[in-house]
Amino acid sequence: MERTVKLCSLEEAVSAIPEGARIAFGGFAVYQKPMAAAQQIIRAGIKNLTIVGCVNSIEADMLIGAGCVAAIETSYVGLEKYGLAQNYRRALQNGKLKVVHYPEMLAWDRFRADREGMPFWPVYFLGGNDVARDNPQIVPFTCPVTGKQAWAVPAAKPDVVVIHAWRGDKYGNIQIQERSMLPQYLNVDMARSCKNLIVTVEELADTEEIKKSPHLTLIPAFRTAAVCHVPLGSHPTPTLSCTEEDAAHYEAYVNASADEEAFEAYLDKYIRGTKDFAEYLSLIGETRPKTLEVR
Amino acid sequence: MEKRFTLEELLTVRLAHTFRNGEVGFTGLATGKAAATYITNIPLAAMQLARLTHAPDLTILLAGWCVNPDLSALTRLPSSEYGNELLNLPCEAQMTTWPGPWSHRIGEIDFAFCSGVQVDPEGNINCTCIGSHEKPKVALVGPIFLPEHLAVFGREYIMMPHHEKRCFTEQIDHISGVGFPGGRAGRKELGLTGSGPCKIFTPLCIFSFDEDGKIFVESIHPGVTAQDVIDNTGFALGDLSAVPETAAPSDKELALLRNKIDPNRILLG
Repeated sequence: MERTVKLCSLEEAVSAIPEGARIAFGGFAVYQKPMAAAQQIIRAGIKNLTIVGCVNSIEADMLIGAGCVAAIETSYVGLEKYGLAQNYRRALQNGKLKVVHYPEMLAWDRFRADREGMPFWPVYFLGGNDVARDNPQIVPFTCPVTGKQAWAVPAAKPDVVVIHAWRGDKYGNIQIQERSMLPQYLNVDMARSCKNLIVTVEELADTEEIKKSPHLTLIPAFRTAAVCHVPLGSHPTPTLSCTEEDAAHYEAYVNASADEEAFEAYLDKYIRGTKDFAEYLSLIGETRPKTLEVR
Repeated sequence: MEKRFTLEELLTVRLAHTFRNGEVGFTGLATGKAAATYITNIPLAAMQLARLTHAPDLTILLAGWCVNPDLSALTRLPSSEYGNELLNLPCEAQMTTWPGPWSHRIGEIDFAFCSGVQVDPEGNINCTCIGSHEKPKVALVGPIFLPEHLAVFGREYIMMPHHEKRCFTEQIDHISGVGFPGGRAGRKELGLTGSGPCKIFTPLCIFSFDEDGKIFVESIHPGVTAQDVIDNTGFALGDLSAVPETAAPSDKELALLRNKIDPNRILLG
């Protein structure tokens, strides 16, 4: 019997995401977002998703603007230096989206709870905060050890996790850049929180190559459900030490998301109008960012 | 006549005087440029000024993860928290995992900086929504790290780039960060381990909080009148006739800022 090859097309990987799934996207804020996968969800017409996240940006805004999202659980949806996330904002103000807020690092700890099989993460500092008042899923309790007021913050419980990473092999061993930062580590925590993990990678490597730096394989193959080779798969967000952000396309996105009609036109041109991510990239053409050398 | 110092330099030096040696100070990056100047650039310059004067053991956490960065090496503003450019900014340590070198929940962050769209007289702050949470009139970015900042950090500096009536309101629409609801006694009952907001810096004045946790105007900037402050604040401030002028920076402090800390005028413009 042969070892299972988990390398597949992005179309195939995304087709396994069920309608109404709880889905987490890796990357942090505007860094290393699995944009190719988010786009493919739009092309595949998967709806009623609940995005469960930590610090969300363009991936959530795009899916919300395309009508794929019913609810989002997060601490932030914004575009950092590019300003507010306008599709998110419009959907919320029009009553078309439900938002459930969590404080930032607690939103991350929800995935750590999943890693450890804990139904909740305990916290002691939500007194007086409207985040706890507005969220019935955060349950107050008295700490059995100290007698202090505490709150149980529910585990994230994603059905599917999607991340964009530096390098992987066909069996699903995924490596993180040696020099890394928090967005890469959130990828690792999210990856370990869920059995159904889809990874897009910048580089496909031979397993013998992977074995030369096993300390970088923070996500071993048994954790991975599907691996897809998608260079520039975080476009227009950057992938650390691999690609820069595409500021020109980011601006185009921000302008298009200013109103519904313009955003529909954006989706028709760049996403629904392209058969896959490769065709999207060829449409982007010259503004595409330069590729960096991974150290 | 040219002014001897800018508003940004004034705020930077006043802020620096409030830091103590050995403390750990935390900055994040912001949504939009005005907020970035107030919650990132001015605090970074102030912390470095303190390091070069009375607080050599102060630790800077840039964007929370880059420890004691060499700010004078900046040739342009870091436009992102985790972009490729910050990976190679000279610094002493980097936080690459969560949890990492510090833990805010056990009080290891002594002070930090935040901003929002509304602040009330109890120092509660909103960065989440205007109107209801379920269907807001204006949806903002979300609570992000403010619940933690105001609850467990040693103290918080609220940095407001705009001093307008709509930002300083009697009631706020969402308590994203908790100040002193019901005064300092009320805050104590909530079990929060950090001491909450300590000062608010604006383009017009510096606010502080009295022993009951009530806001008051500590000083008014040179060239600004008490009436300017009253006219642009949405809650009553009482009699401001005895409020002192915000103390000016010394020539030595200005020289340090301009020649050593920010030689390329990246942080303070």
